[in-house]
Amino acid sequence: MSSSLFQLFRTGKLIQNGYSVSCKALHSSQQFVKATTAARSQNIASFSTAVSIADGKTPDDQSQKMSKAMKAYMNRAEAHDALMAEETAEYEIGRRHLANIMGEDPETFTDEDRDKAIEYLFPSGLFEPRARPYLKHPSEVFSKRKEAEFDHSGRPFHTLFYTGLPNYFQILHDITERVRELDHFASRMSHYNVALDKDKSLNLSSSEWLTKEEFEIKIIEAMKDYHYEFFIKSMNRLAAHPLSYRAKDFIMDFRKNKPIVKLLQEIPKVMYTAEGVPYMTETGRRKTATATVTVYGRGSGKVTINDKDILYFSNLQDREQILFPLQFCGVLGTVDVVAEVEGGGTTGQSGAIRYAIAMALRSFVDLEMVEKMRLAGLLTRDPRSRERKKPGQKGARAKFTWKKR
Amino acid sequence: MAMLCRRMLQQFNVGLFRSQWHPVSSSSVPVMGSAKVAYQPEPSEDLTSKENQLEEVLTDLTSEEKHLKEALKHPDFFKVADLFTVEDLFKARVHLGHTDGSLHSNMTPFIFGSRLGHLIIDLDQTADYLRQALNFTAHIAFRGGIILFVCRSPQHQVSVENWAKECGEYAHTRFWYLGTLTNSTVAFGCVTRLPDLLIFLNTLDSGLEQHRGVEAAAKMLIPSVGIVDTNCNPNLITYPVPGNDDSAASINLYCKLFKNAILRGKEKRKELLGL
Repeated sequence: MSSSLFQLFRTGKLIQNGYSVSCKALHSSQQFVKATTAARSQNIASFSTAVSIADGKTPDDQSQKMSKAMKAYMNRAEAHDALMAEETAEYEIGRRHLANIMGEDPETFTDEDRDKAIEYLFPSGLFEPRARPYLKHPSEVFSKRKEAEFDHSGRPFHTLFYTGLPNYFQILHDITERVRELDHFASRMSHYNVALDKDKSLNLSSSEWLTKEEFEIKIIEAMKDYHYEFFIKSMNRLAAHPLSYRAKDFIMDFRKNKPIVKLLQEIPKVMYTAEGVPYMTETGRRKTATATVTVYGRGSGKVTINDKDILYFSNLQDREQILFPLQFCGVLGTVDVVAEVEGGGTTGQSGAIRYAIAMALRSFVDLEMVEKMRLAGLLTRDPRSRERKKPGQKGARAKFTWKKR
Repeated sequence: MAMLCRRMLQQFNVGLFRSQWHPVSSSSVPVMGSAKVAYQPEPSEDLTSKENQLEEVLTDLTSEEKHLKEALKHPDFFKVADLFTVEDLFKARVHLGHTDGSLHSNMTPFIFGSRLGHLIIDLDQTADYLRQALNFTAHIAFRGGIILFVCRSPQHQVSVENWAKECGEYAHTRFWYLGTLTNSTVAFGCVTRLPDLLIFLNTLDSGLEQHRGVEAAAKMLIPSVGIVDTNCNPNLITYPVPGNDDSAASINLYCKLFKNAILRGKEKRKELLGL
């Protein structure tokens, strides 16, 4: 073994594509070992050990032939490592300063403390989180790079290197292999009359596929949209297989859990009066009018607005607006409504009362009806308000009469 | 070194001038180097010849170079003729071509005949071309060359990738970017070593047009081995092998043979050159 390793460093004129460049680069072997930390192939494992064995033992005049490709890679790797070292040192100094400013001990200054400190010292009103100031470790800021893709002679490590997207196409290859495997297993199952177990089938409802950006980061390869779309299509085919649970780990590797979406507004529970009558109070606004409405259950359909009857509103349309949520939920004769409203005009006040009634009724009806109300628009606070008049115009939108001459 | 380059060029010349179809003997004995070549260095008596002067100057060749020279002198150094017989080709349905109407004019020398509208490829010729191709492949592997398998038929994509991995070489069974070989530094984002041999299991792309890798390899002076079916054009391929490229049996046979040839070359490389 050792003899062949030493032969690696002889001045053998290896016939390559005319790309071989002799260079006395053994002194940079240490950086080379650092640069190729993931020993993905036996080639490189043996080479790095060979380097450490050979370092200092080979005479100066013997040079190790390295392909042009490898030389270029090494230069880039060295530059990147130098940059990362510099940035890490600067980050560390900055972090310690920050801890001192906050009066904390730099040793026990966690990442959460650091983020909170930045938010405190540099309050930002910007909406986009990524635009706000931050202090992060360089490994989180600088995107991950691929390690050496080829060895000292220029031979790539990955079989699919020449496709341009080796990791991506390797995944497609794996998907095809899995589907074949599953088909084979299914045929064997049917041969031995083994029934399919429905309970085992994969449940993907609580997760979703990684986005294109997340996928690119995961495999460290930039790709086009059609690459990503084809990947999703292929994965869906695999996931749709009845035996896809056998490939669960592989599939879940490319899925992320959906954030648990709680009801945007948690429906409050009904409260009870001393007599045991269920009621709910809500506030509604429309167009500068504010209404506070209490809906009582076990009622008879009485409506009171500002201590007056429904005839508080002389306009039929306004009265209809108030009754609409009650009629929609089918509780017209079974609930009482007591409303206090001020501000605005007739339309604003009736709209505010309607909104408040609908919001209060959520506590009385089932979720299906709540969803129906939402679709009907009863639970949307109407944001429209009076638009201001602009100078040089007659009104908000209307312009002055245009005269030709 | 110059001698070695000349030897390699001789091999290429044998391939590049393949359009001069030489009468192929149907004997089972492989006859290597039977094509007419432009240049054939033979150690001559005339000492004033430049080649002999070089021979004398380069007497202190390394053992590695000596091995490489020796390998080239032998007509079948890796005994690739033992890898298959004509019967193996027949069993793998290599002789089955496409219909009469789809015959490419450049493929007519390789056709044995036609039956019920379907063309039959002459397996004696195929055997000879295949031996030449396998021999060349083994030599490239012997010299540590990068070999790239190319196949564009969807049924065989994945299995070709597997075969390539098994022999430690490379595969490209996907969409071929135009600059892969001709503009590699931009295509891969870094200086890359290009393949030293391209093996086409299909010379046609998915759209039944010639694969762009054939032209690219010819432009970059990279030798190519290609399985040419009756509807393919063998012109730009250095070592065409007329045969069926659609059956799984035939594709698997070719892959197996190329894999064995490559492994033999690598074995010899380890044994003789210690690499």
